[in-house]
Amino acid sequence: MVLITCLANVATQVGAYRIMSGNKFHYPVGNPDLPAAEEANWRAALLSAALKILQTPVDVPTVF
Amino acid sequence: MVKILHYLNQFFAGIGGEEKAGQEFLFLAKAVGPGMLLRDLLKNRDIEIATIVCGDNYFHEHEEAVLASLAEVMTQFAPDLFIAGPAFHAGRYGLACAKTASFVRERWGVPVLTGLYEENPGTREIGRHVFAIQTGSSAASMPSTIKRCADLAALLLDRDAGRLEAFKEEFCLKIPRRFTVQASAPDSERAVDMLLAKLRGAAFESEIPRIAVVPHPVPAAIQDLSQATLAMVTEGGLVPMGNPDRLESSRGTKYFKYSIKERDDLKPGEFEAMHTGYDTSTVNADPDRLIPVDAMRSLERAGHFARLHDYYYVTTGTGAMPAKMQELGAGIAEELSASGVNGVVLTAT
Repeated sequence: MVLITCLANVATQVGAYRIMSGNKFHYPVGNPDLPAAEEANWRAALLSAALKILQTPVDVPTVF
Repeated sequence: MVKILHYLNQFFAGIGGEEKAGQEFLFLAKAVGPGMLLRDLLKNRDIEIATIVCGDNYFHEHEEAVLASLAEVMTQFAPDLFIAGPAFHAGRYGLACAKTASFVRERWGVPVLTGLYEENPGTREIGRHVFAIQTGSSAASMPSTIKRCADLAALLLDRDAGRLEAFKEEFCLKIPRRFTVQASAPDSERAVDMLLAKLRGAAFESEIPRIAVVPHPVPAAIQDLSQATLAMVTEGGLVPMGNPDRLESSRGTKYFKYSIKERDDLKPGEFEAMHTGYDTSTVNADPDRLIPVDAMRSLERAGHFARLHDYYYVTTGTGAMPAKMQELGAGIAEELSASGVNGVVLTAT
């Protein structure tokens, strides 16, 4: 599991192992400042990075 | 001689099961059921035990009348100690034990004790200075629990403060309670002092107890994403418009799964977020900002992973009990695992 959140310290405290910083806490995978098409590209790039984290070995809670 | 008053429900008093849950308040001038075990364990003392009994439903339907009857018994019998239960994981019984024990302690100041399983709803009604012995979830732990009740009763009757503290530490539930205490400085000063200490890198201690985290095994990295099925989960409360399953908007106790089969993205007006912990308007304007179906679908098509699971899972993480969230998380994980899902993208607000 990769956890996308803006509260990485909380995620670390509760023991999530793969943590990724989201954009804003009320829209972790949104970027409303961008035009719609660009936002979709931005989100795909973010999720692509999240998939890489899923393939990365960790042994302690890690914020990527 | 010392006198003990013991509260039991209809079941432990041997009157009957659910069909007798309407049993009215009853005073018996003798030890009954678990009270007889208690009497045996305390037999080297000069003790008189009396029992009050009330049906599980009767207590909750006539709480005021039951407490009034209890008050009469307290005046007439004048016990030195009050014991309620133990109730284990029985909810109505646990609440009745917590309420009667708290009522007796508050009004008469005599020592009181009960026994509850840690998740019994009665733990939420435990008042000040009520000793709640931690029990197992079922009456299978009756012998060891009654032994502890007897040990605690002896310490309370002997007013053995030192050993009482040690007993409480080892065997009683740690029920967080807010009490009025005199602090050395106003909260604003204490907070600023704490902040300054933190900024200096000095030691400081929060006044809010930290939740103990039980470490769990590190999930292995996914070796080959091209063979993997991935699922999306969120605590952000995203549900179909109109919230058909009534997901709570805070203090969530449920989770649901919703289909994203054949969807390329989530459209505004079809999904909405139920969550009092954040401003949901930006997510409502485009739900992909919380459950990124559009991005995951394009990555799936481009072959970054094999398959996107047909459902996303959702609960509401705000104001929630950590123990409940652990239970929901385990339930979601179990369902995903049984569906052949290999990895999860979880978004949290």
